Amino acid sequence: MRPFHPQLILTALSKTLPYLWVTIAVMIATVVIGSLIGLLLTRANIRRRLIGRSIAQIYIYVTRCIPSIVLLFIVYYGLPELLLAFGININNASRAVFVITTFSILFSANMAEVFRSAYEAIDPGQREAALCAGLSEWQTFHRILLPQCTVIALPNFTNALVNLMKEGSLAYTIGLLDIMGKGQVMIGQNNGSFALETYLALAIVYWCMTLLIEKVFATLEKHLTRGQKILSDAP
Amino acid sequence: MLEINNVHKSFGKNQILKGVDLNVEKGDIIVILGPSGSGKTTLLRCINFLERAEEGTINFDEIHTSFKGASKQDISRIRKRTGFVFQNYNLFANKTALQNVTEGLIVGRKIPKDEAIRRGKQALDKVGLSDRYDYYPSQLSGGQQQRVGIARAIAAEPDVILFDEPTSALDPELVGEVLGVMKSLAKEGATMIVVTHEMGFAQDVANEVVFMDGGVIVEKGTPSELFSRPKDERTIQFLKRIIREDFDYSI
Ligand SMILES: Nc1ncnc2c1ncn2[C@@H]1O[C@H](COP(=O)(O)OP(=O)(O)O)[C@@H](O)[C@H]1O
Ligand SMILES: [Mg+2]
Repeated sequence: MRPFHPQLILTALSKTLPYLWVTIAVMIATVVIGSLIGLLLTRANIRRRLIGRSIAQIYIYVTRCIPSIVLLFIVYYGLPELLLAFGININNASRAVFVITTFSILFSANMAEVFRSAYEAIDPGQREAALCAGLSEWQTFHRILLPQCTVIALPNFTNALVNLMKEGSLAYTIGLLDIMGKGQVMIGQNNGSFALETYLALAIVYWCMTLLIEKVFATLEKHLTRGQKILSDAP
Repeated sequence: MLEINNVHKSFGKNQILKGVDLNVEKGDIIVILGPSGSGKTTLLRCINFLERAEEGTINFDEIHTSFKGASKQDISRIRKRTGFVFQNYNLFANKTALQNVTEGLIVGRKIPKDEAIRRGKQALDKVGLSDRYDYYPSQLSGGQQQRVGIARAIAAEPDVILFDEPTSALDPELVGEVLGVMKSLAKEGATMIVVTHEMGFAQDVANEVVFMDGGVIVEKGTPSELFSRPKDERTIQFLKRIIREDFDYSI
């Protein structure tokens, strides 16, 4: 066991930070795709058409029960096979494709639940009142329900985002060179030495990112609720 | 002007409306009475298609359709000609009082913003809320919220306004302000269908009182006919109960 060298944390930081953008880019892509799928799932759930709803619920149930690392490997080995059956070869695709696919699937299931509970928190009477006031279903959704859902969903969304970031660190297991991947490579090159310093550097980065995410979304929430209380106290 | 015939509506196996007819002329104030669960709310909701009745027809001026066969366009036209005032107000929590009123005008009816705001303020003035334009629902009392609800329903000058127990969620001391607004609307010639237990209101402003029980209209007539000379035993029992409650209440 080598002695602990705190200054090597800085070295590790400077070497891994250039790869932070990969982590962030993968996260953004996952959040966008995952949220869109989550919206579709929520819609299928809310509309109560039997087939759509069953598919959505099975999807949510199945994906919520798979550990992310298991799904990551299933996608990594399975997706190329599956696409090959349709004549598409993605064996040379970037690792990021598999990571984004995996975490989009997981994130969408989480979002479906977050969105659904936000939607259900709003009294259906508001929807009816909007329809009575002459709004179409779509206008009702995006003028009345969506802004309120957004505010209600924001804290849970933030949590899911932080979790996604943390679970995303597993992507190194299939060889994605993000900040975690770079850290692993460095440790490997040093034959396992300075591992503690490197992991501490990574912990600091993830800690700062979490802080940043929470700060940004708390500000956003404040901004969106200026002057109004969404869940008004019952009269 | 508005005529509905033979409305049937079930929820699952429960038949709630069993053939209801109603005929509304311009300027009519029709009060619907009836015990809880008799289908009053469901009837109002069927009229503007918040519920889809499985049988019956509706004639609204030049719109003639069965409830079942009504097209999206029919529904949209009927909704734009009716205002609805809910028991729980159902105000848009993310909008101010004024925005609650103008939303349907600007977004639903494509009225230019300036004009919509002018009409929105006019409607709020009419219900006595000139000093509350920019308040959010959570900042208003129940009575004020319900008056915003009424302003929202009248701002588009609908042909008929449907009221579903507009005062029953209110603290007793707030009931008067809402009934006052409704009375002044009635005086101005609005056409209204009002589900309520407020006998005084029915007595004062209704030109027809309808008594519903078990999903049918049991009896109807002018307030004096129905209140002084009810014919059906169910009406008599109901009126006795209500009047006794009113009496207990005033003690
Ligand atoms: N969406 C619904 N699903 C199932 N049953 C309903 C629904 N809405 C109303 N009902 C039932 O219909 C009956 C009549 O309700 P309602 O029209 O609200 O009566 P009222 O307004 O006269 O009190 C009640 O027994 C109620 O339980
Ligand atoms: Mg009712």
